[in-house]
Amino acid sequence: MDIRKELKERILFFDGGMGSLLQERGLKAGELPETWNQKRPEVVTEIHKEYLLAGCDIVTTNTFGANRLKYQDQVPEIVRAAVENARQAVEEAAVLTGKCGYVALDMGPTGKLLKPMGDLDFEEACHIYQEVVIAGTMAGADCILIETMSDGYEAKAAVLAAKENSSLPVFVTMTFDEKGKLLTGGDAVSAVALLESLGVDALGINCGLGPVQMEPVVKEILRTASVPVIVNPNAGLPRSEGGKTVYDIDAAAFAGEMKKLVEAGAAMVGGCCGTTPEHIRQLVTLCSGIKPVPLVKKNRTFVTSWSHAVEIGEDPVIIGERINPTGKSKLKQALRENNITYLLEEGVTQQENGAHILDVNVGLPDIDEPEMMVRTVKELQGVTDLPLQIDTSNIEAMERAMRIYNGKPLINSVNGKQESMEAVFPLVKKYGGVVVALALDEQGIPETADGRIQVARKIYEKAAEYGIEKKDILIDALCLTISSDSRGAITALETLKRVKEELGGQTILGVSNISFGLPQRGIINSVFFSMALQNGLSAAIINPNADGMMQAYYSYRALAGLDPQCGGYIERYGSQAAEKATSLPGEEKSLGECVEKGLRENAVTVVKKLLEQKDPLEIIQEEMIPALDRAGVRFEAGTLYLPQLLMCAEAAKAAFELIKDKMLSRGEVEQKKGKIILATVKGDIHDIGKNIVKVLLENYSYEVIDLGKDVPPEMVVETAEKEQVRLVGLSALMTTTVPSMEETIRQLHQKLPEVKIMVGGAVLTKDYAETIGADCYCKDGMASVKYAESLFS
Amino acid sequence: MDDSRILKETLRYLGYGNGQPDGRTEDLLHQCMEELKRACSFRHICRTVPLELDQDHIVTELFRTESRNLGKNLKGCSSVLIFAATAGPGPDQLIQRYEKIRVSRAVVIQAMSAAMIEEYCDCLNRGWKEDFEKKGQYLRPRFSPGYGDFPLECQKNILAGLEAGKRIGLTLTDSLLMMPSKSVTAVIGISESRQLCVLSGCEACEKTDCEYRRN
Repeated sequence: MDIRKELKERILFFDGGMGSLLQERGLKAGELPETWNQKRPEVVTEIHKEYLLAGCDIVTTNTFGANRLKYQDQVPEIVRAAVENARQAVEEAAVLTGKCGYVALDMGPTGKLLKPMGDLDFEEACHIYQEVVIAGTMAGADCILIETMSDGYEAKAAVLAAKENSSLPVFVTMTFDEKGKLLTGGDAVSAVALLESLGVDALGINCGLGPVQMEPVVKEILRTASVPVIVNPNAGLPRSEGGKTVYDIDAAAFAGEMKKLVEAGAAMVGGCCGTTPEHIRQLVTLCSGIKPVPLVKKNRTFVTSWSHAVEIGEDPVIIGERINPTGKSKLKQALRENNITYLLEEGVTQQENGAHILDVNVGLPDIDEPEMMVRTVKELQGVTDLPLQIDTSNIEAMERAMRIYNGKPLINSVNGKQESMEAVFPLVKKYGGVVVALALDEQGIPETADGRIQVARKIYEKAAEYGIEKKDILIDALCLTISSDSRGAITALETLKRVKEELGGQTILGVSNISFGLPQRGIINSVFFSMALQNGLSAAIINPNADGMMQAYYSYRALAGLDPQCGGYIERYGSQAAEKATSLPGEEKSLGECVEKGLRENAVTVVKKLLEQKDPLEIIQEEMIPALDRAGVRFEAGTLYLPQLLMCAEAAKAAFELIKDKMLSRGEVEQKKGKIILATVKGDIHDIGKNIVKVLLENYSYEVIDLGKDVPPEMVVETAEKEQVRLVGLSALMTTTVPSMEETIRQLHQKLPEVKIMVGGAVLTKDYAETIGADCYCKDGMASVKYAESLFS
Repeated sequence: MDDSRILKETLRYLGYGNGQPDGRTEDLLHQCMEELKRACSFRHICRTVPLELDQDHIVTELFRTESRNLGKNLKGCSSVLIFAATAGPGPDQLIQRYEKIRVSRAVVIQAMSAAMIEEYCDCLNRGWKEDFEKKGQYLRPRFSPGYGDFPLECQKNILAGLEAGKRIGLTLTDSLLMMPSKSVTAVIGISESRQLCVLSGCEACEKTDCEYRRN
């Protein structure tokens, strides 16, 4: 019988722990349990059989850690042997019980953290799982259980590998702590939303906690999930007794606690660490008669990041529109110059100003959009925990970004054209996501709300053919500027209202289009935004840095009963008057003083005024550089410390931005002293030292090519050659990564003998630096500035 | 956990020596403290296992190695407590965020979260010390892989033996860096006799000209 079908009819039971039972039978400490699939197959089979005779329906193969990081090229054989052992047990048990169990191919975490936090690449993780999936499927497993996942991103890699290489049902259980968080910080709702959108057949929780501690998380999962929920806890909490780990609840208590969870709606139950065939026997006895709680579709719309979910529904959400080059010359320039920092700052500013989701559009005719999109999404997810809206008409860029996105993204966009739906819907189905659907089709943008509603219906129907639910589609009601179409606003508003009321759908709008071509657009925008909210807008693409828009938003929520006790409004606007007053005294200071003291906000205010009277170059020469020099001297003398030096650098940087703008507007270009490559060497993922050096060098007018961290030697050499760079700075933090610094230096000297190399990092000394062939050892960030100045002057 | 000790250690890591932070830096320190308290999720895991010690040869259920420094530290012990502790991914996420956009804040968070995980370990140690002394056993100072000649390579077996990945989310990179980076693994000798302790950690290090050296 098909396990998916059976799942609807009765509670299914997983087995319990494997490791401790193997240890009882002689597996030694430090010995890898998966080796016993081949070394002691009869023992592994016996344990599976005990569980089956105890009444479980699904045995999980002894393959938790069977991946190539631990077993290199032996993975296929180990997995095959493991599936055979489980199959053998199922057959032997069936003779005795007359009941045929299922074999679940078990896959645990890789044991490594994925980039950017760790050093395992996402695609590499997919490959690691792919190997297990292929071997297990060929060996005849009935389903795949991905378990003990503490990182949603790794779970995504495993699910993609399963779906791409097998048609078996896929179940995923994750490990949460008492606070309902994954070890990597994500919450339960975001995990459920991600896994459901990837199309798993069942999901839930295992390991980490006992059934008692799990209860609140299980209930949260049950409230959110529309697929069957799995609960496989430990036998309570562990403690150490005489060097052995023991768990604090016995089989009867375990079964009793589990019964409550089954009655609450868990559909598949079993055990994890510390549970034995006896736990499962009592669990089955107590719970097999319970009828499963019928599944209810929750119809909740979620987009997620690695940390949390944003629900799109009654309470409208803000999508920050600033990372989009249309009409923004500075962003265009940043994209062309690969200046990712500028984009990151735009992202963080919007978050600080109240955005819930960030739109990411990097489309420019002359750049490699897929490459840039992937890079921007990765980098943004490194600095912000907000979900992203992947905004592109380039299908390759869309797919690649959706694949590596950590979470369930918002996708912008599909429309009613056949071609568009056929390209976008398969991606949404595969990678998961909520998709923005523009209410237009081959006939163009319908002039009336009637026409737009018709297109929306068509889109919903077509999406359903792909298995994409209405809840995962946001209808873009489209607004045409009122400067050319006087009914532009009215039609959009009517469409919003009708999508909500007639179609029961969610809506989205790029609000500021309404005022295109008009003066003082902010005035119209904020009023139209209020009207749109009133007409049922669920998600607004706006500029969250515009006060008027946010005022409209916070006011609307307070007025519409969405902000209990006006808490959100008061938090936002209650203390603003006081803050403004405290920043006033700083404005009396000179620019040099502001920079030297690290007063960033004041430096910005002062330089704005100064630029009205003084030449930009003069400001740099007479105010900025002397201030930076003074700070540098004090730092070297030990009277100014690293945080102060950096605050000073940041104040200077903020002022420089405005000076650059001014120069740009006068058609002048800032003169750079030279190009410098900075890189943290291969194997090293601590980047902070290099980033300190970068900020300082940039303030001294050097163009820094930042290659990031974990950089292979070849890439440094290649970039140095291509960009004709005279100076390379390398950073390494650990004794274990200094050899890759040495190798990078060797390759540079060999291919590009004229290039100078400066090095720094915690474990380096002057002598050590000389030994590995560096031209200069920099004990701190200022030393690198000095060396650069000596080289380029 | 003691905030004043954390602040003191943070300043030492930031290179303050005997210097004092100015008002702006003080503000920054306090903001970072608040932010880190929200971001850290301290977890640990430990096991007590028998120790076989023959001079520099150290054998436990979790790892075996040769180390003169560790051998000296464990002399006279019959078992060891091996532990791993982490502040979780929160500090790394903050550092990753701020090193791109506000590096002054990143360096403070970097230093302060290092001070916090050390303080967390000190708290754990004090608890264990009391527990063991009730049983008439005495603890040595903690000693971590990478200290002196205790090979970093041992991290692999220690973390695997403690199931640190599954239990507390602590993993190793190929170059043996712990991730989350604000984490500690260490061995603590357990002996039946009270003994004035040999040097540990920072003081055991042979780099005597280090600007971060304690005292």
